Amino acid sequence: MIEIRFHGRGGQGAVIAAELLAQAANLDGKTPQSFAFYGAERRGAPVVSYARIDDRPILLRTAITAPDIVVVLDPGLVEVAPVMDGLKPGGTLLVNSPLPPERFPTPKPAFVATLDATQIALSHGIGSRTMPIVNTTMLGALSRVSSVVSLSAVQHAIDEHVPARPAENGLAAIEGFHTVRVAELPGLPGGKAPAGPVAPALSSEVPEAPIASMASDVLHTSSWRTLQPVITREKCTRCNFCWKFCPDNAIDLDAEGFPVVRNEHCKGCGLCAVECPPVAIEMVVEGGA
Amino acid sequence: MAKLTLPPVELVRSGHSACPGCGPALAMRYLLKGTGERTVVSVPASCWTIIATGYPTTALRIPMIDTPIEATGASISGLRAALDALHMSDVQVVGFAGDGGTVDIGLQSLSGMLERRTDALYVMYDNEAYMNTGIQRSGSTPLGAWTTTTPVEGMARGKGEPKKDIMGIVLAHHPVYAATLNVAYPEDFLRKAQKAASLKGPRFFHVLAPCPPGWKFASDQTVQIGRLATDTGIFPLYEVENGKLRVTRKLGQLKPVRDYIKVQGRFGHLTDAEIDTVEHEVQASWAALLQREAHP
Ligand SMILES: Cc1ncc(C[n+]2csc(CCOP(=O)(O)OP(=O)(O)O)c2C)c(N)n1
Ligand code: SF4
Ligand code: SF4
Ligand code: SF4
Ligand SMILES: [Mg+2]
Repeated sequence: MIEIRFHGRGGQGAVIAAELLAQAANLDGKTPQSFAFYGAERRGAPVVSYARIDDRPILLRTAITAPDIVVVLDPGLVEVAPVMDGLKPGGTLLVNSPLPPERFPTPKPAFVATLDATQIALSHGIGSRTMPIVNTTMLGALSRVSSVVSLSAVQHAIDEHVPARPAENGLAAIEGFHTVRVAELPGLPGGKAPAGPVAPALSSEVPEAPIASMASDVLHTSSWRTLQPVITREKCTRCNFCWKFCPDNAIDLDAEGFPVVRNEHCKGCGLCAVECPPVAIEMVVEGGA
Repeated sequence: MAKLTLPPVELVRSGHSACPGCGPALAMRYLLKGTGERTVVSVPASCWTIIATGYPTTALRIPMIDTPIEATGASISGLRAALDALHMSDVQVVGFAGDGGTVDIGLQSLSGMLERRTDALYVMYDNEAYMNTGIQRSGSTPLGAWTTTTPVEGMARGKGEPKKDIMGIVLAHHPVYAATLNVAYPEDFLRKAQKAASLKGPRFFHVLAPCPPGWKFASDQTVQIGRLATDTGIFPLYEVENGKLRVTRKLGQLKPVRDYIKVQGRFGHLTDAEIDTVEHEVQASWAALLQREAHP
């Protein structure tokens, strides 16, 4: 599973970016998930959104705290928002910035990539000078620096899901793909953007879902009681009232229709005794004489 | 040996964590005997989430989804849509919520589900307070009852307002079927559960489910007190199918409400005059119910 966190400002399209990425990954045949962090979505305020991509259904529903990939839609956020928090060693940081990637050192070794997405988006007439919408440009760049999604899937997702100016958004994505620069990582061939995808291959690990599947009968609730029912068989008319009213299903009927208390599950409530018409059940002190 | 009046299938396991003598535990047991094993149940935060799920165990033999308290109606709408998409339209979708989670916190979600004509059964088990969090008053707590938030001290005399009329609210949405049920009358309960399971569209159950610690009575009295609730006219049993009302437990002379009130600690402070007031109101609403049955 690959986890991607987007940082943007309200109005820049960070939430749509995560959604479009998920749609594109779906076209690639993966099983994606995307959602936004619920906060005050004020125009210009820092916002966070998330995507997860795997080739099996994803059962996790939590915010992403250790992303494989961080995408920053606004260069100013690197200073003011905790964008690098939890970024995995060997992960990828993609920043919208005219500066070279070396200017964004990560706490742990990671691939850093930059591109001037603002300039690209504006040249295609997407958004305004005060609020350029760079999400599609950034997704184009992401498809270059990571194997998480293909450029053609990004283009398809834009065609299908971007209502305004899909053609321009598609061109911006292609330009993002071609102009993104990747910084040298220690141990990688110097200076050049890796030819192929750099993010780790998709894993198919699915975390265990917290599904309770053990039968509760293993719990012996008899330890709760102080009184215990004792049935006098001779008085019993086999009316099955005791069976019917036991809230703990602790009475079974034997082949002849006589009630048998399942001792380990009886909580000693006394209902069976009160409901027994011929008073064939007596509640006696547990373990008493 | 007497014939069984309930199907032997047990879809609620032993080992659950309800208090001894728990009325809501009986409610789930009878309900699932009626709807059968092809049922999924959505349970919001309530006593029943705790009853069913001593993690990692489950007390149900059918799938259960743990739902936010305000979302039962939405949850069963989604379950219905998902099951239909999977061509599993035969599966019964049941919401099983407490009174607080229904008449207060989940009311909009219930209303939405009824209004959208969701094909599901919404069951409200009514123990007449927020019991799981320690006996706080709900909209369904009856007039005069003690709870931790409607104390009896000084001028305070328990809850000052009458019980919210949830059946009235539900019937205003014109469900295909709505009924009142009581764990003290399992055969009537079963018949209604089977009937609801045979119908399509929005359905609603209001189930009276006495709670020993919350109502302050001994754990062996759950069924006795449940019977009195119906036989005094306080909780009449009826069903409404396509707008037509039918009383399913006919009563000749109502038993005195005193018999019901006097055996519960939560009403221990009520004076004879206060009980008389309740008596008059119960008689009036019983007469009104019979009128609605006779002249629809
Ligand atoms: C929105 C919300 N508020 C409060 C709670 C806490 N809570 C958990 S169970 C519960 C009691 C619910 O009462 P009711 O629906 O009557 O069910 P009961 O516990 O009586 O069975 C409450 C208030 C919650 N889970 N969610
Ligand atoms: S005492 Fe209660 S729990 Fe035990 S068998 Fe009787 S009814 Fe069931
Ligand atoms: S209620 Fe009493 S008489 Fe009826 S089956 Fe149980 S023990 Fe026998
Ligand atoms: S508090 Fe009442 S409703 Fe809740 S488990 Fe106990 S008896 Fe049942
Ligand atoms: Mg309740």
